[in-house]
Amino acid sequence: MEYDRVTLKIPRPLYERLKRVIEGTGFRSVNEFVVHVLRDLVAETGEDAALTPEEIRIIRERLRKLGYF
Amino acid sequence: MISRVLVIGLDCLDPGLVERFLDDLPTLRGLIEAGEFRRLRSVDPPITVPAWMCAFTGRDPGELGVYGFRNRADRSYDGLRIATSAAFRARALWDELGEMGLRSIVVGVPGTYPPKPVKGLLVSGFLTPSTETTYTFPPSLKHRIAEIVGEYIIDVRNFRTQDKAHVIAEVHRMTERRFRLMEALMKDEAWDFAAFVEMGPDRLHHALWAHHDRTHPKHDPDSPYKDAIRDYYRFLDGWVGRLLDALPGDTQVIVMSDHGIQPMYGGIAVNEWLIREGYLALREYPREPARIDDLIARGLVDWSRTVAWGEGGYYGRIFLNVKGREPEGTVSPNEYDAVRRELAQKLEALTDEEGKPLGTRVLFPEEIYREVNGIPPDLIVYFGGLRWRSIGTVGKGIYWHENDTGPDDANHAPDGVFIASPPLAGRELSLPDIHDLILDLYR
Repeated sequence: MEYDRVTLKIPRPLYERLKRVIEGTGFRSVNEFVVHVLRDLVAETGEDAALTPEEIRIIRERLRKLGYF
Repeated sequence: MISRVLVIGLDCLDPGLVERFLDDLPTLRGLIEAGEFRRLRSVDPPITVPAWMCAFTGRDPGELGVYGFRNRADRSYDGLRIATSAAFRARALWDELGEMGLRSIVVGVPGTYPPKPVKGLLVSGFLTPSTETTYTFPPSLKHRIAEIVGEYIIDVRNFRTQDKAHVIAEVHRMTERRFRLMEALMKDEAWDFAAFVEMGPDRLHHALWAHHDRTHPKHDPDSPYKDAIRDYYRFLDGWVGRLLDALPGDTQVIVMSDHGIQPMYGGIAVNEWLIREGYLALREYPREPARIDDLIARGLVDWSRTVAWGEGGYYGRIFLNVKGREPEGTVSPNEYDAVRRELAQKLEALTDEEGKPLGTRVLFPEEIYREVNGIPPDLIVYFGGLRWRSIGTVGKGIYWHENDTGPDDANHAPDGVFIASPPLAGRELSLPDIHDLILDLYR
C-alpha cells in the first residue's frame, strides 16, 4: 500500500526557520516535522484523521478478526 | 546502581500459567529467584489498548480518554474511531526520558501507530496497517529492520483459522523476529531505556485455549495441540534468556504483561438482550444475523424508542440515548442515574441458559477512574466476570457458543505478570504504577 501524498507550499523563510528548529532533534527533515505537527493538531479534534481510509479499513478488519469487536 | 531498564512486554502472559510451567522456564525462574514476581492488576477494561499505554503513561483509561480500540469521537450514533497514537495525548515514559537527554528503544507498543518522534528509536505496534507504511521513527529504521530480520511480522496473519498448525508456526516466527530485532537494536544502539511488546502469548491463548484447558467444554483430549501453549512459554523463556545474556549486569529487567487469560464459555448478544428487555427498538428485525454497526448505518435502529445500545468485544459497552446529548435522545438527564442503575441490576442478575447466575459485573466510569475524559461508555459490562464475551450482533438469540468473529475460547483476566530483577516494587501494583516505578530509577 503506497501513501497518497500531496505537496503543500510554505514560504521559504518559514521553511528555513523550521530547518533551524529541528536541528539536533530526531526530525530528519522539515517535511517529517510538519507532518508530525499537523497530525498532532488534527488529533485534538478527536478524529482518526492521522489514518487514511484504507488504513482504517485494514485496521478495523484486523481488529474484528482478532475478536476485539 | 542501575544504569538502564529493559521492559520485556509479553501481551496476555498469565501469572497462573507462569507458576504452573515454572519448572520448564529456567530464565523466568532465575529472574524470580533473584528478584520479584507478583500479580500486576490490569486496568478496566483489561484490554491491550489502552492497557499498555496506561503502563507507559501512568494514567488510567479515564484520564487518557481511551476506553478501548474504538472510542466515540462525538455523540453521533456511528462516531466510533480507532484509537491511534494521536489519541494518546499524555506523555509517555520515553517522551519524559527524552527530555532528560536519555535514549529509548521502543518496539511494538500497542497505541504507537502512526509513530511519533522519540529520542531514540520507535517501531509502532500491532495496529500498524502494514510494513509498507512509515511505521518507524526515524522512517529510515524500517530498511534496517528488513536487513536484520527480513520480513518484519507486525501481527499474526490469518489468525481466525481452524488451521492451528499454521497459527502456531506463525506466532513462533513473529516472536523470533521481534526478539531478534530487539537483540540487534540493543547491541548496535546506545540506549538508556528499552521496551518492547510481543503479542504472541495473546494470540496463542485465544487460538488454542480449548486445546490446552482440560476442563474447557470444547476440550479434545486427543488434540495434537494440547501442549502448544506450554511449549510456546518455553520458547519465549529461551528467547528472554538469549536477550538477557547480552545485557550488562546493571540493567533493571522487567518482564510484564498487560492482563492474563481465563477460559471463555460463550457470548451474550447484548443488543438482542436490550431488544427483549425493551431498551432497544429496531424499525425492522433483521432476517439474517446483523451486526449493530450495520443496523445503525442502515438506519434500522428506531432511536425515538431506544433507551440504550451496546457494542461487542471481549467486554460489553452500553451507551444510553440521552436527551440533549445524543441526536435523538430519549432518556432525560434526571432519569439517567435511575435508568443506568436499573440496567446494571438487570445485567448483573442475568443467568446462563440453565438459570445459573453468570456473575456479571457492571462498572460506571466515574466510579473507577481518577478522571473521565473523552466519551466513555455509560456502562462497562463484564459478562460472567469476562468468562463470556459481548456480542453486538442481532438476530441469533442471546446466548452464543460460537464467536461471531471465529473460534475463540479464552478471554482476558484482570491480573497480569510482573517480574523484576533485581526486585523493584515490593508492594501491590496496578498497571499505571509501572510508569513511576521506572521513571524513579532515573531520577
